[in-house]
Amino acid sequence: MNAEYAEAQSFDEREVIPLSQLIELSGLPEAALRELVDYGALSPLDPQAYTWTFSARSVIVARTASRLREDFELDTHALSVVLALIERVDALESELRALRARRAGSR
Amino acid sequence: MKYKDYYAILGVARNASEQEIKKAYRKLALKYHPDVSKEPDAENRFKEVAEAYQTLKDPAKRAAFDELGSHAPGEDVRPQAGWTERAGGYAPFSFDDLDLGDLFANLGGAARARGRPRNDGPLRGHDYEAGVRLTFDQAFHGTEVEMDLSVPEYDENGFARHVPHHIKVRVPPGVTDGQKVRVPGKGGKGARGGAAGDLYLDIQVQTHPLFRVTGRDITIDLPLSPWEAVLGASVKLPTPSGSVTLKVPPGTSAGKQLRLAGRGIARSGAPAGDLYAIVQIVVPGVLDDRQRELFKELAETSTFDPRGHFAQEGTRER
Repeated sequence: MNAEYAEAQSFDEREVIPLSQLIELSGLPEAALRELVDYGALSPLDPQAYTWTFSARSVIVARTASRLREDFELDTHALSVVLALIERVDALESELRALRARRAGSR
Repeated sequence: MKYKDYYAILGVARNASEQEIKKAYRKLALKYHPDVSKEPDAENRFKEVAEAYQTLKDPAKRAAFDELGSHAPGEDVRPQAGWTERAGGYAPFSFDDLDLGDLFANLGGAARARGRPRNDGPLRGHDYEAGVRLTFDQAFHGTEVEMDLSVPEYDENGFARHVPHHIKVRVPPGVTDGQKVRVPGKGGKGARGGAAGDLYLDIQVQTHPLFRVTGRDITIDLPLSPWEAVLGASVKLPTPSGSVTLKVPPGTSAGKQLRLAGRGIARSGAPAGDLYAIVQIVVPGVLDDRQRELFKELAETSTFDPRGHFAQEGTRER
């Protein structure tokens, strides 16, 4: 079988994603996405804007939300709590990694 | 078609109640869900568990599964005549290379299960996630990986089945452990004019014996002898893009971070990070007589007190 060839793309932090694309990429229904914004789990770049846009990082958050919603049968409020905790764990893990990396002889 | 024992996967009896099945699934989901689990192989375990639950939680699918009978996992099973009609109508062309999970996912309509009406407009293809393990150098410089994937694809009827794909992906330089990258259009094919899904790669980077990564910066331990630390030295320092000569200034103490700007991780569209050499002072384990003499002489001559602040702080305490 011949290999298909493709380029992987990093999520560029400066990339701007419109709401419609976030819906498509995450698989979340629009109503659920809007609720996640209401609860603060996702933040549009400009909440006052007529059409919401998001940072590329929101795709990762929204996809995680979509998986958790389906797999744990969570409502949007519970989902926001879980996402907030996951974000805290991620921040702590990266801080821990940084501290470990900066400590001499840590290998 | 290879049999999978969904009851055994969930660890429940064949006559378990709906409630027991749900409870077993929730417990296993908490243990293996890739977003919350640290278990090795969590992703694959969770896929199995989710597939079992998707079938057993639905009374019609469960009845169809029960009708297949009880077999050893991996045993070839062939539903009896009329099974597909009784189970929900979708008759695949052949059961030979069909995955049991795909079959049950399609009973009752895969499209409906994804929240979209079956005959209404284009269906976007499935997204697919796969893990990729890279060496530090591959991640730093960028690389090409070849992967064999089994991606769910819609056929012309809007039914999904796993199709093998052999794919070569160019991973850009500067990816780090835990990062996700997207390969647009390389998920499952869409149906009725819908776009293909995307492939998401979870990047894992093996630890390097010398370099540690934090954000875009890289750190390395720089062991120095006491005399190099005192007198200064020019040392050869490995960096991911080749060795450099690093000037260590005289009077460098342990823990000091010597920065090499721009020698960290470079990603497109962002300035490169820095490389930090963290000084360690390492003493020789064995000294000959002459060396011992020299150190003794130094000890007698020097008035340097590295613990001067102990006395001050100690007085303040009392």
